[in-house]
Amino acid sequence: MNIIELDGLEVRLGGRVVLDRLTGKLAGRAIGLLGPNGSGKSTLINTLLGFHEPSQGTARVLGMDTRRQGREVRASVGYMPENDSFIGNLTGIRFVRYMAELAGVPSAHALERAHESLFYVGLGEVRYRKISTYSLGMKQLVKLAQALAHGPKLLILDEPTNGLDPLARQRMIDLVRDVRDAGDIRLLISSHLLRDIDDTCDEVLILKAGRIAAISNLEEERRAHRKFIEMETAGAGEAFANAIRELGCECAVFPHDRWKLVMPEQVEIRDLYAVAARQGVQIRKMHHRRDSLEDIFLKAMDSELGVTRVGL
Amino acid sequence: MSVYKRTYHSYMGEVTPLRTRFLVLTRYGFSDVWSSRITNILFAMCFLPTVIGLVMIYVMNSDVAKLLLGAQNIRGLTIDQRFFFGVMQSQCWLALILTAWIGPRLISADMSDNALPILLSRPITRWEYVLGKLIVLWTMLSAVTWAPLLLLWGFQAYNAKQPWAAANLFIAGGMVAGSLIWVALLSLVALALSSWVKWRVVGTGLIFGAIFIPAGVGGVFNAVMRTDKGFLLNIPFMMTILWHRLLRVPALFFEQRVSLSLPEISIALALMCAACVLVLHRRIRAREVVRG
Repeated sequence: MNIIELDGLEVRLGGRVVLDRLTGKLAGRAIGLLGPNGSGKSTLINTLLGFHEPSQGTARVLGMDTRRQGREVRASVGYMPENDSFIGNLTGIRFVRYMAELAGVPSAHALERAHESLFYVGLGEVRYRKISTYSLGMKQLVKLAQALAHGPKLLILDEPTNGLDPLARQRMIDLVRDVRDAGDIRLLISSHLLRDIDDTCDEVLILKAGRIAAISNLEEERRAHRKFIEMETAGAGEAFANAIRELGCECAVFPHDRWKLVMPEQVEIRDLYAVAARQGVQIRKMHHRRDSLEDIFLKAMDSELGVTRVGL
Repeated sequence: MSVYKRTYHSYMGEVTPLRTRFLVLTRYGFSDVWSSRITNILFAMCFLPTVIGLVMIYVMNSDVAKLLLGAQNIRGLTIDQRFFFGVMQSQCWLALILTAWIGPRLISADMSDNALPILLSRPITRWEYVLGKLIVLWTMLSAVTWAPLLLLWGFQAYNAKQPWAAANLFIAGGMVAGSLIWVALLSLVALALSSWVKWRVVGTGLIFGAIFIPAGVGGVFNAVMRTDKGFLLNIPFMMTILWHRLLRVPALFFEQRVSLSLPEISIALALMCAACVLVLHRRIRAREVVRG
């Protein structure tokens, strides 16, 4: 099932085209929304939530039209905004309960869910303190708690690690991963930080100047790149090449003992080491490409607009 | 989710009806309003004219009470439309003070910490949000205006000789209509200003300002232009005329010199309400609108 479907979506704000004919389908468990500042990430999220009306085209969230079924879309979504957004004079528990009740959870259940959400994000001990007394990291966490409390089908996180120190960032990423792995919730995470998206998402939509620069399935990219190896050896000869080929790898040898391999699914890197040990070959350097998202992003930023599918 | 396991699980229970979801805002609004001791004091104070009115009605209708008070021959005081106008006027101006206290917090508390994106990301519309808050003010103000006035009228109807009630039904209708117009105006002005300022003190001042400053501007306009149309900016004056007409109280001397018709007053009040609705329409948004 597609989580988000965009069909020629155009949004104008103040007479300016902010989102320009976006078309694409996203079905990942955790979808990353990448792009430089001002590329239209937050506008796209606001449009998906029904805050902005499309001037042309349609956007569908979980199969529902955001223009005609905005209320139903919002009933299925948990939203964590980018900026500070809370009621400062409420305690954490009261705020989360309030938001859960507005999302449709009956009062008694909402209180229970609020306690659980706050404990889940790590704010259990401070849940009776007013939110205005929270630190920046705690405010981010209470925003996450309110987005989770009513058990949404889709969780939209707009720059969830904004302003967090490295420890708090890691904690937030771990929480997002944990939610993702729960299985019955989908995520849309907007960020301009590649690492956040790389750590949490399996599909990415890259925006550039209000247009789609790339849509990519990160899981497939990662799988492909994990099997693509570059290495430098000492003492390797034809026998080593044959042994590697017998494993099922394709390999090419370059001057100065540099090798490029494509490994089949069932072969692991430790198999290469085992072959090398048997042959008395030293593997002095091994590199398997990991920065697939960065490559995709840079390629998308360099490319002309209008590209909808990017792979390496 | 589970507190001790700290793992995420989605909510699979029942949900409340979508159409009445905005009443959650009303409930939390009431909770916020009543959390202040000043609200309790002001609310109680608002019933002072009603209590005095009840005592007066009782005395005027009870020979024993008159005898005990030595007031058998009270002259100049009758329970008629003038009496009810006096009580209504007192109730309505006290309602203004109550509004100035509770009104500014209703929306500004959400605006000051930018809570609207989160609130409106729930399945409620902008107008349901406003309606939820409006019900808080409307209920509070109704409780101190037309509700106690009707109680007074009912008490008099019970005590007076028949057919007082049938002959004075217009007083009850006039009080309800006049109070409702005042409550609607006050509620909209308070919400519009609440959406516009972040601080309660400023909001309170602005509510009084919105009622009385245009009156001064209207007076200047009258003096400069040698007209009486400036009174269309004078809310207290317009409301007095309106209440007089609704309760069929004879016009006072200064009213007779002013040539404002009821349709003119109605249009002026409707325009003021429309201006408040426009302010709310512009301010109650999940995101700022970018102007090119």
